[in-house]
Amino acid sequence: MIYSWKKIVKHSLPLLSVTILIEIFAGQILQGKQESLLLFPVFLISIPVINSISGNIGSVLGARLASGLHVGYITLSLKNKEMHDNLLISILIGLITYLILAIVIYFLALFGNLIEEITLIEFVAIIVFTGFLLICMVSFISVLTAFISFKRGLDPDDMVAPVVTTVGDVMGIIFLFSVIGLIGVGL
Amino acid sequence: MYAKEMVKQSLPLIIFCGLGAIVAGSTLGVMIDLLKEIPGLIVVVPAIIALRGNISTAFGSRLGSAYHLGIINSENLWNEELKQNIMGSLILSLFVSIIIGLLAYLTSFVLGVYPDPIKLISIVLIAGVISAVILNLMTIVIIYLVFKRGYDPDNITGPALATFGDIVTMVCLFGSAFLVEVVL
Repeated sequence: MIYSWKKIVKHSLPLLSVTILIEIFAGQILQGKQESLLLFPVFLISIPVINSISGNIGSVLGARLASGLHVGYITLSLKNKEMHDNLLISILIGLITYLILAIVIYFLALFGNLIEEITLIEFVAIIVFTGFLLICMVSFISVLTAFISFKRGLDPDDMVAPVVTTVGDVMGIIFLFSVIGLIGVGL
Repeated sequence: MYAKEMVKQSLPLIIFCGLGAIVAGSTLGVMIDLLKEIPGLIVVVPAIIALRGNISTAFGSRLGSAYHLGIINSENLWNEELKQNIMGSLILSLFVSIIIGLLAYLTSFVLGVYPDPIKLISIVLIAGVISAVILNLMTIVIIYLVFKRGYDPDNITGPALATFGDIVTMVCLFGSAFLVEVVL
């Protein structure tokens, strides 16, 4: 027998505990902003979407970098052209996805009577700008994690996804509130 | 062209996962009254989504490796290896759900919000375990179908579980918060 439940629990618990601790921190930011979020539920709905997109793009980028490093067409250099292309395309895919989904969320919220005092342009601008900042940060962390883990002899495939999704969850919430504050819709 | 190919392959899947997240987010929108009534409930949301994502994608990817190693296949699916994997994932969910409830209570307490610890831990525990059972069953069904068609499970389980995982978790959290609020 290869698998035993004790081994599975023992191997997963440390990384999972660290992840949970950071996610609780993200949750406390939400609690601090709870009143505004309940007044503007459209942003509450957007939070899982913002985090899902950045997590997926970061993980896909990480998996591509990992394959490139394993095969050898990406080298451990910050000037690597292949890596730059991957970064730019991730940011492009991110912008398109945030734009489309922001429009979908806005009309769903409009349909559900959850929109008050915010126009389509304002909402889309907030989500796309938040998404842009988040994707840049997550892509950067994805490259960093892939390079560092590869250099230390660890498999980037195991490392990038958990690191990128956890950091993305916290930073997504922080960026969202910063951008809302910057654009100023009374939240 | 290289870039075009990359956009074409990953953009549709990422948009599809985002649409799944809108369903999860809308559940959060429906929960507004419960969020108002149960202090500390919003704190557990990112943690329980992350718990679910981590445990079930790891479960799926272990089953994928087990398939490649020849330990399980569509004729020999329900064996001791699979049972150990299910046990591991359920016990992890149980453990970590209690940790999430406790941490959410303690950090809220420090920040001057006073949730009911029993209520909060029960909500996370019920939601964590029920969503684990549902997602394990879903994983086994997906894996069985993937095996039968001879696809590589590694390409399918990750995105499928990430998308359904968020929705199932949020619906379970909503149901469990509602139940606990009514009973306790």
